[in-house]
Amino acid sequence: MQATILPITLPRWAKPAYYVVVGFLSLVGVVAVLVRLIYGMKVTALTSPIPWGMWVVIYIYFIGLSVGSFLMSTLVGMHRYEKVGRMALLSALFALFGGMLFIWIDLGHPERFWYIFTRWSPTSVLAWECFFYLFYIVAILCKLWFLMRCDLASLAESSEGWRATFYRFVSLGFRCPKTASEWQRCHAQSMRVVRTIGIIGIPIAIAVRGGTGAIFAVVAAKPYWYTALFPIIFLVSALASGAALMAFLYAFFGKRDEDYPEIVKGMANFALLFLTIDMLLMAAEFLVGFYGRIPEHLEVYRQILFGPFPYTFWLGQLFFGTILPVTLISWKRTRQSVFWLGVAGLSAVVGIVAVWLNLVIPALVVPVLKGLDKAFFQPRWSFYYFPSFWEWASTVGLIALIVLGFSIAYELLPVFGIVEEKFSGGER
Amino acid sequence: MVKEKNESVEQQVGRRDILAKIASAVFASLVAPAVLSETAQAATEQQPTQQTPKLPELPPPKPDEDPLIRMMRDLQRALKKPLEKRRWVMVIDLRKCVGCKACTVACIVENKLPPSVVYRPVLEEEIGKYPRVTLRFLPRPCLQCDNPPCTPVCPVKATWKRPDGIVVIDYEACIGCRYCITACPYGARSFDFGDYYTEGTPEIAPVEKAPSFEYHRTWERKGNESPIGNARKCHFCLHLIERGLLPQCVTTCIGRATYFGDANDPESLVSELIDKPNAFRLKEDLGTEPKVYYLI
Repeated sequence: MQATILPITLPRWAKPAYYVVVGFLSLVGVVAVLVRLIYGMKVTALTSPIPWGMWVVIYIYFIGLSVGSFLMSTLVGMHRYEKVGRMALLSALFALFGGMLFIWIDLGHPERFWYIFTRWSPTSVLAWECFFYLFYIVAILCKLWFLMRCDLASLAESSEGWRATFYRFVSLGFRCPKTASEWQRCHAQSMRVVRTIGIIGIPIAIAVRGGTGAIFAVVAAKPYWYTALFPIIFLVSALASGAALMAFLYAFFGKRDEDYPEIVKGMANFALLFLTIDMLLMAAEFLVGFYGRIPEHLEVYRQILFGPFPYTFWLGQLFFGTILPVTLISWKRTRQSVFWLGVAGLSAVVGIVAVWLNLVIPALVVPVLKGLDKAFFQPRWSFYYFPSFWEWASTVGLIALIVLGFSIAYELLPVFGIVEEKFSGGER
Repeated sequence: MVKEKNESVEQQVGRRDILAKIASAVFASLVAPAVLSETAQAATEQQPTQQTPKLPELPPPKPDEDPLIRMMRDLQRALKKPLEKRRWVMVIDLRKCVGCKACTVACIVENKLPPSVVYRPVLEEEIGKYPRVTLRFLPRPCLQCDNPPCTPVCPVKATWKRPDGIVVIDYEACIGCRYCITACPYGARSFDFGDYYTEGTPEIAPVEKAPSFEYHRTWERKGNESPIGNARKCHFCLHLIERGLLPQCVTTCIGRATYFGDANDPESLVSELIDKPNAFRLKEDLGTEPKVYYLI
């Protein structure tokens, strides 16, 4: 199984140009967030009947990417895929930050976010969800640190200036062993810890993601959400998006060594697996919903398939989110190319946004009582939602900010083992 | 406060002064309990003081008096009972509703609601085909469910059912996540986005900036301060009923189609009405046990 590697060499200006673009978009995002904080929720196009929109969608999208990446770093315990681990954890961390950021700006009173811990309510899924985030972030950070501590320490010694200070800070004063045997012992210890955290992390990550799904699934008022399959769909879609993200990231920014094509392939195959299961679950939901013929439930499907934004489903969810990646990963002419597998990953990562859009908004578009949509004629009582300019600006901008943060972390942190290379390199 | 004043009085020399001071002290002692009970009530919204403010005086009962007077009498009787013994219900006679929407408007004015918030819309349903058409109107306040789906989902315990059955929101605790809005099967919760009806005109109408008195408090509309950025809902005009007045929608109804009172009191008008077989409640199958009854 020899995969052809397209040599992807970018011109020299590409990197600064990339940073200029992403930096500019991040700035737009920061400005949009400031506008939202100063003028309040009136800058959104949300309405009372559709109180959750773009920001909530991107929030669950990011949490999905985070949990998917985290589980990729653990579930794929096979030695071959260990190289993906750090990258996956880093993306899990930044995606989690992204999710937090989006749900924070979505609050009507962002300055009160800490009430969720001081006034914590055990009956609320949302409160439990935030509680799980605490454990989850600790799990990610611990795992990341134990994976990187040797490299960080050696970087702290070898680099100069602010970089040295930075590495000393993030290595928390850990000293790197000098000899190969000492390193071996230290590495074995790190790996033991990492594996333990990884195993503890699995239920935490599942709780985080299942919890996100449960936020919707417990709402009996909305027949479309009120299904036990929802948390499962959330989990499987998260795994699909995580695997797809890893396939994309590793294909374009992975380390080009002998394992490289196999790793990309492996990630793409995981994405294929979860995308297929996801399709199955969605089909089950749709068929059962159609057969049940509860009017409010049927209306949601009508909105998704033929509503005001049908391309979200047909183009986003079905084509970019499912058909294109599944074809690219399984067709024999493209599955041998790392480039196309990376493209498949990117396509799925982008297309899955449409999945979340369709899971959240159509359920709100359908009035809970017959005639409620014609009972009060005000723009803020409309059953139609399309994000406002500031919602778009903040969404694009904050995603850029997260991408920027990830890019900087990717460049600064030892995403691929350095010390490991030094010591184990001689043995080979 | 009064004692301090009296002490300072003794230090004064002039008799006129003394008399003036005593008069003001007496006045203060009369006003202070009212002021204090106001603030105490605001501080403990969950358990308002048993002591009720002065109730309006009513004419002696007559056989065929206006139902509003009868309901006010029922209300005063209920207010003499402890909070947990009251069970506020609303009854809406759909045969009497003409769809004038005066209740919707009166509620907006009473609670100074912005365009994104409506506590009591009137739903319309067209029955039949032209030329044989009739309209059915269904006013929908908050149904004050006995088993409310909106309260357990709140992550910060900012909304709960009071002992007398009214579902309330603590505006100062609500973080504005809007989970409760999605959880309500009746669409009875709205979000205050902070807009104004007269936005975009040369001046925002002063009436829109006027404070609301929900939950026995004064809520000024400014900046992003609560209730802006909060979930909001009908509370049966709690601030009125605890002063012996009927909810604004009940008082305004031109056809006397809306009734209000204490269902725990067998003598009350609402108790008579909800026991009839023509009473129904919305979406009873969800097990929410609404406290708004419709008569057909």
